[in-house]
Amino acid sequence: MTRYLVRRTGVLLVVLLGIVAVTFGLLRVAPGDPARLIAGPDAPPETVMALRHELGLDRPMAEQFVLFVGQVVRGDLGQSFQTGRPVLEEIGWRYVNTGILALTAVGLASLAGIAAGMLAARYPYSAVDSAIMSGALAGVSAPVFWLGLLLMWLFAVKLRWLPTSGAGSLRHLILPAITLGAALTATIARMTRSSLLEVIEEDYIRTARAYGVAERSILLRHALRNAFLPILTVIGLQLGYSLAGAVLTESVFAWPGMGRLIAGAIFTRDYPVVQAGLLVVAVTFAAINFAVDVLYAWLDPRIRYD
Amino acid sequence: MAAQRSRPKLKGLSFLLAIVATLTVAGWGAASPATVTVAVGADAVRLDPPDMTDNPSETVLRHIMDGLVEFDEQLQIRPALAERWEFQNGGKDVVFYLRKGVRFHDGTPFDAAAVKANFDRILAGGLRRTSLYEPYIQSVEAKDTYTVVFHLKFPFGAFLHHLAHGAGLIQSPSNIRRWGDKVGQHPVGTGPFKFVEWVPGDHITLEANKQYWKGAPKFDRLVFRVVPEDATRVFQLETGEADVITFLPPSEVPRLRANRDLDIRVADSLRVIYVGFNVLRKPFDDVRVRQAVNYAIDKELIVSQVLGGMASVSDSPMAPGVNGYCKTGGYPYDPERARQLLKEAGYPQGLEVSLWAPQGRYLKDYETAIAIQAMLQQVGIRVRLQTMEWATYLRNIFDVPKEQAQYQMYMLGWAPSTGDADWVMRPLLSSQSFPPGDNASYYGNPKVDQLIQEGMRTSDPDARARIYCEAQKQVVGDAPWAFLHVVKQVVGVRASLQGVKVLPIEIVLVKDASKK
Repeated sequence: MTRYLVRRTGVLLVVLLGIVAVTFGLLRVAPGDPARLIAGPDAPPETVMALRHELGLDRPMAEQFVLFVGQVVRGDLGQSFQTGRPVLEEIGWRYVNTGILALTAVGLASLAGIAAGMLAARYPYSAVDSAIMSGALAGVSAPVFWLGLLLMWLFAVKLRWLPTSGAGSLRHLILPAITLGAALTATIARMTRSSLLEVIEEDYIRTARAYGVAERSILLRHALRNAFLPILTVIGLQLGYSLAGAVLTESVFAWPGMGRLIAGAIFTRDYPVVQAGLLVVAVTFAAINFAVDVLYAWLDPRIRYD
Repeated sequence: MAAQRSRPKLKGLSFLLAIVATLTVAGWGAASPATVTVAVGADAVRLDPPDMTDNPSETVLRHIMDGLVEFDEQLQIRPALAERWEFQNGGKDVVFYLRKGVRFHDGTPFDAAAVKANFDRILAGGLRRTSLYEPYIQSVEAKDTYTVVFHLKFPFGAFLHHLAHGAGLIQSPSNIRRWGDKVGQHPVGTGPFKFVEWVPGDHITLEANKQYWKGAPKFDRLVFRVVPEDATRVFQLETGEADVITFLPPSEVPRLRANRDLDIRVADSLRVIYVGFNVLRKPFDDVRVRQAVNYAIDKELIVSQVLGGMASVSDSPMAPGVNGYCKTGGYPYDPERARQLLKEAGYPQGLEVSLWAPQGRYLKDYETAIAIQAMLQQVGIRVRLQTMEWATYLRNIFDVPKEQAQYQMYMLGWAPSTGDADWVMRPLLSSQSFPPGDNASYYGNPKVDQLIQEGMRTSDPDARARIYCEAQKQVVGDAPWAFLHVVKQVVGVRASLQGVKVLPIEIVLVKDASKK
């Protein structure tokens, strides 16, 4: 395992350097001048040029890159072009916010998705099954914008149970978490169902049934444990995607998170924020994958790494 | 077994009910009546007047700080921290007599030294709005405690308008010393509200300044909440979570007008939308072709059908609300005249040109471009329409040397933040301002250049009005742009909140408001 860990860490570092290089390059190649955007369209040219100098944009690209990598290595991610605040300060608590939202969404989705998937697998090809699977199809296909606004209209505007948007309390979390988790719930339900149906065909299940073990116990104790690996993979991947891709949910619900920060920074060409933001997301993604792999080994001792 | 299976389900259901009940009992978090919440589309960037260039920052700052002078709703200049002023030495010295007994929120007294400290900082350079003052202010002198003199390099016609600009808000000098270049996160002024906290991306909270020199505000807290999604802001207005929302989507106006709890305000702005021609390149190096395009566009139809009435037809490079505007008559819709002019210019068979337009930056910008495409088609001008993302768009227009400028026609908007003609004519239409300046049409007329200089160096209002009127008529005749329309701004207010002011410079002021 140790050798595996060392090798994985090495690969991870190379990947991260690659990500840093690619985002740096793409941002610089993309047309659009941060100084012009910050100064505003009605700024005189002297202001734009002074800003370009202040931000170091008039230096050669190679020099900018070396400076940037040097900063990252020292743990300094620079300052936002827009606000002048340190990038770490900008990202820090937004990262926490997105984490809370993504974890809640994935948690809810896992509970609901696994439950629904099990129910569907318990009565395959029945009315219950097709109802759940149609629901899942709808869940996967519902656009975040539409679903988010619909939930908001129902629970905030009409029923007045929950606030429309913002952050700061559990009540603020419910609607965005459901919105973000909807598609995921559906994916997990489908994966759970098919994975369970596959396992249920196995001999040991038939044996257990023959011994008169209760059906519920068969599903929970025997089948689910063995069907769990692919489900876990999906959950792990989705957690990563949610962290990176909560942009729409975050902007519909005015949830101050990473997704919105990075998307906004791309439009204003706030290079330091985009670079650091993507780096943080990439590290998180890698860490989640890593955790999933370790969990794999723990759940299925047959999987070996060295 | 059936009973066994249903038990956990019931448990789940009751758990859900419990959650819902708790939330309902916990109450619809209605803000206390003493709080006013404004939902804005974008967060402030930095709360340091001469170092900010964005609207959300200015809106917040205008509640925390005062300037020497201020705009009223008609953009007339009114006294604020200066009680009165005099122009001396032929307009080269401007003497301000300051209000006495005013203190900044941190206790620092407001006086001539404070004003001098603010402007010395600006003139020292390095701030985003230094260029708004540096070209004409020689020095600032604190003559005595409550008298401050601005020594100008020449009598500058738009001086008071520049002081009323958001960049001219006065902040506490001791606070600037305390925070240095981080002062933009800790604003302290003399205004009706004191800064409390800023959670970036979420909200900015202010509290009433009970010692405000104009009298304490009529509510305790003011919260600016960042809600980027238009539809969400509208919902917040409907639920009452927000008392005021800015940039209300015009398509929602008819529906919301039916709600008696809401007051939907459609106000004038200074934002002119135009199509600029690249006058250096064929075919728009010929004034007749440019005029033909102007005649071929039915602006009334665009305003009524594309913009749903949320704009007015424009006949000048500046909006009627700008100080110095005068009616020119513009170009009425006359496709016959357009065809005639094209024929005279040597294009009897029509011609083909490209039009660049942004998408989503201004109200129905791309839709407007499509309408223009169809209208020009009617007179024989085939238009290739092209759109691009905003940052790319700006770069392609302003940051290419003139030999390489690829565009023939481009759509842009302009709103002079000083409210004065000088800030339209000088940056957009003077031959001194070719890109990287803002004159992307490369329009230059020696007569207009001279009028711009005269207008800038004249402080007599009547003389300025005459000068700018002549300049506008000349520009409209030369037609470096197709003059389209002036957009309106739509602001939603809860009917229970009274006294909200919508300035044409796209600033909403709630400082004088009160809740019923």
